[in-house]
Amino acid sequence: MATRLDLDHRRTDRRTVLGLLAAALWPAGAARAEAPRLKFADLYARYGELSPRALETTGQAVSMRGYMAPPLKPEVAFFVLTALPMSVCPFCETEAQWPEDIVVVYTDGPFDIVRYTDLVVVTGRLETGKKVDADTGFLSLVRIVDATVEKL
Amino acid sequence: MKLLPTLLLAGSALATATLPLAAQDALPQAQDSYFQAGQAALAEKLADQPRTGRAKNVILFIGDGMSIPTITAGRIFEGQSRGVDGESNSLSFERLPYAALSKTYTHDAQVADSAPTASAMTSGVKTLNGVIGVDQTVKHDTCAGAADAAVETIFEQAEAAGLSTGIVSTARITHATPAAAYAHTPNRDWENDKTLTDEAKANGCKDIAAQLVEWPAGDGFEVILGGGRANFLPAEMADPEVADKKGSRTDKRDLVAEWQKKYNDGVYVWNAAEFANVDPAKVGHMFGLFERSHMQYEADRQKDKAGEPSLAEMTAKAIDVLSKNDEGYVLMVEGGRIDHAHHAGNAARALVDTVALSEAVKTALDKVNLDDTLVVVTADHAHTMTINGYPKRNNPILGLAVEIDGSLSKGDDGKPYTTLQYANGPGAKKDEPRADLSNVDTTDIDYLQQALVPIGESETHAGDDVAIFAAGPWAHLFHGVVEQNFIYHVMAKASDITAR
Repeated sequence: MATRLDLDHRRTDRRTVLGLLAAALWPAGAARAEAPRLKFADLYARYGELSPRALETTGQAVSMRGYMAPPLKPEVAFFVLTALPMSVCPFCETEAQWPEDIVVVYTDGPFDIVRYTDLVVVTGRLETGKKVDADTGFLSLVRIVDATVEKL
Repeated sequence: MKLLPTLLLAGSALATATLPLAAQDALPQAQDSYFQAGQAALAEKLADQPRTGRAKNVILFIGDGMSIPTITAGRIFEGQSRGVDGESNSLSFERLPYAALSKTYTHDAQVADSAPTASAMTSGVKTLNGVIGVDQTVKHDTCAGAADAAVETIFEQAEAAGLSTGIVSTARITHATPAAAYAHTPNRDWENDKTLTDEAKANGCKDIAAQLVEWPAGDGFEVILGGGRANFLPAEMADPEVADKKGSRTDKRDLVAEWQKKYNDGVYVWNAAEFANVDPAKVGHMFGLFERSHMQYEADRQKDKAGEPSLAEMTAKAIDVLSKNDEGYVLMVEGGRIDHAHHAGNAARALVDTVALSEAVKTALDKVNLDDTLVVVTADHAHTMTINGYPKRNNPILGLAVEIDGSLSKGDDGKPYTTLQYANGPGAKKDEPRADLSNVDTTDIDYLQQALVPIGESETHAGDDVAIFAAGPWAHLFHGVVEQNFIYHVMAKASDITAR
């Protein structure tokens, strides 16, 4: 049975602002569904060094398929997308061996947790560059923001 | 009158039995290409001569998790990758003249893990799941009494006899298979000091990384190449390849520095460029740790940040260093991540790593003299991947099963299926029907083959026998169905190691 994530008040405000901005800049619904497919293999020339394709596509709509790593706790509004299933909660383990090509997905609203071995499709805007998440301290190099996620 | 057909049959049987070889030409199938290939193979096998000299050198190749279906699918994959017929293709080690089946069960388990199986190969005894270099009298995860259960490995015997020794793996060099060359521990998970239990510390058990660097046999390994760098560096030290990560040790020891202090002819490397610069002629001891944890899958190796040598490149350099010793050498080379890919339910990476092992064996065969070097290629245990359906000849091995008449094979659920499937693992749906693969690229490197029993964390090992291939002195002793620990006995006999 799916679990809805609840967003706290602060995050909802931020999300509302972002949502409005995104709506202004961002094609809605049908256009997003046709976003070009990006594969994990397309992201890096070498791990740590983004590929030309990833750099060119930054800021654009993309869709990626992968697996939802078990989220930290219900209150976060992001999850980690992995090329192969990751069985452990990344933040729960002190020594989680993260693959080098993970993508952090910031959703545009609450999302259902999908079993970590079931494929999901994520559609959103590609963001690249090192960034530390303010709330969790999680460092990411590739992100998909304002994303929708759907179980395949 | 019933007697006549019987007499006629008996007569013709007698006639066939005494037909000279040349008369095979007269058979209706004599011009068939398969028939002629069979006759050529017969001639080759008849020419095989066992070698009975002493094996100056021994090389043991282990494909971790390299089940027989992995080999079959691997040969098909390798051939198809080159655009040739896959089914009749051969991986390098399939051309070795002698083969046997290896029974991999352990002292306490029907299906083995890598620890007791590698120990069986290096010391000649079967033991418990989860333990390394200790016999059946030990209690898993209990240090007290473990020292009394320690066995002697062929690597320790080799060092004592003045031979050179080497271990190469794409897994952490403290992982079970390479550890079986040097470590003695009741728990394979004690790879660094942080993982030791209080009972272990109280009773004097050392972690595997420490055991490697403190190994008292001879002058230690001449060659150590693999992953697992974090197990050798203290938590206070940043990793050279990944600056925001540290070592894993909590005892403040830098085992790399300790190793470097031991040798004035030693070189430590951690990336592809440094490895390439190592001149075997000038180096007496070589230590390479190319990743914090396991090395990259071969399929991803080109993307490694600081670069990694391939298994074949590590094998070549290892042999170049070790063969400088006129007494001889004993070397273990492990394709350690065939197993990991299977555990992930990801056949594509398993097959690419199998081909990488084949390349490593080929590299060795091109360098050594089989008159004085025993080469053994085997697996520690099997996995649950099988080759299914009735796919037509040359059907892409990673693809959907397509039959001889060109139609897609389908299950009763009306959906197609891939030729390769796993019995369990992450590829299984939990309480949901399996996916329709009609529009899925099942040949994608990340594709997880469908499985039956859902075990998200890891597909399991399998208990079927694995193959042993061998060439060189006394390789012919590998015939029939043997216990896995028999491998040690042949290597020891061939090299006469305890008498040297």
